[in-house]
Amino acid sequence: MNSLLSRWSVIQPWLTVAVRLGLAAVWIIAGGNKVGDLDASARAVHAYDLMPFAAAQILGAVLPFLEIALGLLLIVGLATRLVGGVSAVVLVLFVGGIISAWARGLAIDCGCFGGGGALATGQEPEYLGRLLEDTGFLAMAAFLIVFPRGWLALDNWLSDDPQLPRRRVASTETETEESAR
Amino acid sequence: MSKRPAPKAPPSYLVAEKRRQRTVWTSIVTLAVLLIAGIVGYATYATQRADDITYPKATAPGDNTGFALGAGPVKVDVYTDFMCPGCKNFKDASWPALETMIRENKITVVYHPVAILDHSSQGSKFSTRAAAISACAADSGKFNEFNAAMYAQQPAQGTAGLTNEQMIDMGRGVGLGDDFVKCAEDKKYGNWVREITNTMSERGFRLTPTVTVNGKQLETPSPEKITEAVTAATK
Repeated sequence: MNSLLSRWSVIQPWLTVAVRLGLAAVWIIAGGNKVGDLDASARAVHAYDLMPFAAAQILGAVLPFLEIALGLLLIVGLATRLVGGVSAVVLVLFVGGIISAWARGLAIDCGCFGGGGALATGQEPEYLGRLLEDTGFLAMAAFLIVFPRGWLALDNWLSDDPQLPRRRVASTETETEESAR
Repeated sequence: MSKRPAPKAPPSYLVAEKRRQRTVWTSIVTLAVLLIAGIVGYATYATQRADDITYPKATAPGDNTGFALGAGPVKVDVYTDFMCPGCKNFKDASWPALETMIRENKITVVYHPVAILDHSSQGSKFSTRAAAISACAADSGKFNEFNAAMYAQQPAQGTAGLTNEQMIDMGRGVGLGDDFVKCAEDKKYGNWVREITNTMSERGFRLTPTVTVNGKQLETPSPEKITEAVTAATK
């Protein structure tokens, strides 16, 4: 048991790094695909038919930049728990949007990774796949909320937090503190 | 216990307070970064929108987002993208029936060459380029001919599509002259295509091809359904 815990305390900080970078890639690819065509981004938002066109234009323009910013913050590892939380909130909104579009039977492209939300005849909406994908991303965000502390993060440099992961020597101490949280 | 020496450790409540403050500041900075990113996004969009739109001379009376064919009483709006395979099918299956009704002076077709598939041409934005050049063809009075030639040689979705030169040659092939070539080379109507694609979205249409009869969208635009709807609208 003890050795299992101490192994976890070694693995977890690296796992956090991997999840951070993975989710960062998702955000940067998603935002990067949209940023070159903000009109398409606005149309993709409007395709969900949840708000007037003017509001969709604002959200459609803001979203890609927000996504890229989330990705960059995850790469540098600043306020990882907070950024994981914001990521989770955004993903929950996405999931809600997709479910509501599906429930209303709208034939749209999700616009998740670019595209203007409109479909060409013959293209099928792929709601289920997108939902599963977003659920996976949500799990990654949840991991960062629970285990925000990892290596290669600005958070470590900024803080002398005793709960930061340490190298093997301090493993017993880290464990007790970890379980005390 | 750690082996590290810990001389003069400050009282733990001070350490905790310091840490708390640091967390607060980190959070504020992070949220500020996100907020600024959003503002930059909106500002970028707003600047792009300020671009001048040149409207083609040939746009339909009362609707500068499309080209009118015919002058009949029933208005049929058609939204298609040059790269969309379903639009080619629509063109092949339904256009003859529409042309007949145009000749019989039953309908006015307003054709909107929108660009929803710009992300499907390997970054070459074929949909926008093609639609913009079709507007040049419209200005020279040959939209229908150019449109037909384009669909006859439609590139597969996901390829880079045709080059501007190829499309200009195609225009020459249907009898378009120097004015058309100059207009196409000047890339005059790209912003207009962007505008009409946004208008399509604003009107609530999410599919190409979209066909409306007197503003009412047809679920599956087959020749029979279109003729039926036009007959119903004529009564």
